[in-house]
Amino acid sequence: MLKRALYGILAIAATVGIAACDEKLSDLTGPTPNLQPTFSSIQQNIFEASDSSGRLACTQCHNAIGSLFTGLNLTNAVAYANLVNVAVREKAGARRVIPGDPENSYLIQKLEGRASVGARMPLNSPAYLTDGQIRVIKRWIELGAPND
Amino acid sequence: MTVSSLTAGTSRRGTHLLSAVSVVVAAATVLVLGLCAPSLATAQDDPDRDLKVSQPDFTLITLPTTLRLPRYRSAFRVTHRFLRPLGAGDFSDLLSDFFGLDSGAQIGLEYRFGLMRGLQAGINRTSDKTIEFFSEYSLMQQQNNGMFGLAAIASIDGTNNFQNSYSPSLGVVLSRELGEHGALYFEPIWVNNSNPDPSELANDNDTVIYGLGARLRIRPTVYVVGEFLPRTGYRPGVNHGSFGIEKRAGGHVFQLNFSDSFATTMGQLARGGTNSDDWYLGFNITRKFF
Repeated sequence: MLKRALYGILAIAATVGIAACDEKLSDLTGPTPNLQPTFSSIQQNIFEASDSSGRLACTQCHNAIGSLFTGLNLTNAVAYANLVNVAVREKAGARRVIPGDPENSYLIQKLEGRASVGARMPLNSPAYLTDGQIRVIKRWIELGAPND
Repeated sequence: MTVSSLTAGTSRRGTHLLSAVSVVVAAATVLVLGLCAPSLATAQDDPDRDLKVSQPDFTLITLPTTLRLPRYRSAFRVTHRFLRPLGAGDFSDLLSDFFGLDSGAQIGLEYRFGLMRGLQAGINRTSDKTIEFFSEYSLMQQQNNGMFGLAAIASIDGTNNFQNSYSPSLGVVLSRELGEHGALYFEPIWVNNSNPDPSELANDNDTVIYGLGARLRIRPTVYVVGEFLPRTGYRPGVNHGSFGIEKRAGGHVFQLNFSDSFATTMGQLARGGTNSDDWYLGFNITRKFF
């Protein structure tokens, strides 16, 4: 009886032990292994940093000076205020980030290249964001686009 | 490409190959042990070897039953799910494709072995490269308590030849035999990490399956079977449902079934079917080696 109970416990312990085998987010985010679905992480890893794929940082153009032409400043101090629930200058009725609605957020449309106006971002970059990187940004928006 | 990156790539491929080979070797060893097992068996009067007409097989269609596998004995099962939706095109198209038999299929090969009285373990590989290891321990038998049979089940499956997306599961199988007329089943099963996404990107990473099933004996060796698996938690696609008819012939059970998914492992069942309008023809064949 004791032997049987031991087998049962071992089977359960083995299963529960393996239960921690979640997929690694870093496997999905490729050239930005530390990317997380938080605003601070996106700011640090995407907006302000180039990566090993050759993708250029957004702030190369979307900075204080560039925003005079592009209309968007993504530098650290003002990025959140310039994104969430902010109207798009080039397309009436659109908003850059709509909390909870990544598909209709203009930021995602521009990163995926399906915006009806203008080119895919990052403009003139050797590489675009990977699907995994975009998914992380979408997840941040799904979660309500908090300033975290 | 540098020499070191080439070496690293070769090493990774080598590791994957070793992993796949070790799984095959382990499965082959268990198979050989099982086929040689009659010489190991000591208890010829093991009641687990007796035919149970109410539970002739270790599974319904995909869900496990509480049928015990005798110690050191084994069983083998082939599952086939044809990929052609039965509703595609009109009837002449369906006939032209011979009800889907002309199309490809998701095939599963399963082998289980009785490790000790009441404890069985096995391996199931499906042709989408999922490998599942499973075990079942019989906790209660209806013939002892007169009420119901109860078994604990545990499994883990992994995609890409057990190298990605591991989904462990724990559950119980509750059965109520209806004399010699068949049996009813309720099987709550928790499947962890059923969502192939990292948990940071997922609302739910677990699925709880509430398996409902029945096997009814309509002729001395003919049964109708059915199962339906409502879920909570992560539940994409449609809930798995399946029904079929089967014939017991000696140590074989031949089953023809209709399903709304190709799922046969717990992880696949947790992820459900594809489209509520699509049903597929399939069959299972079980062979008991005792």
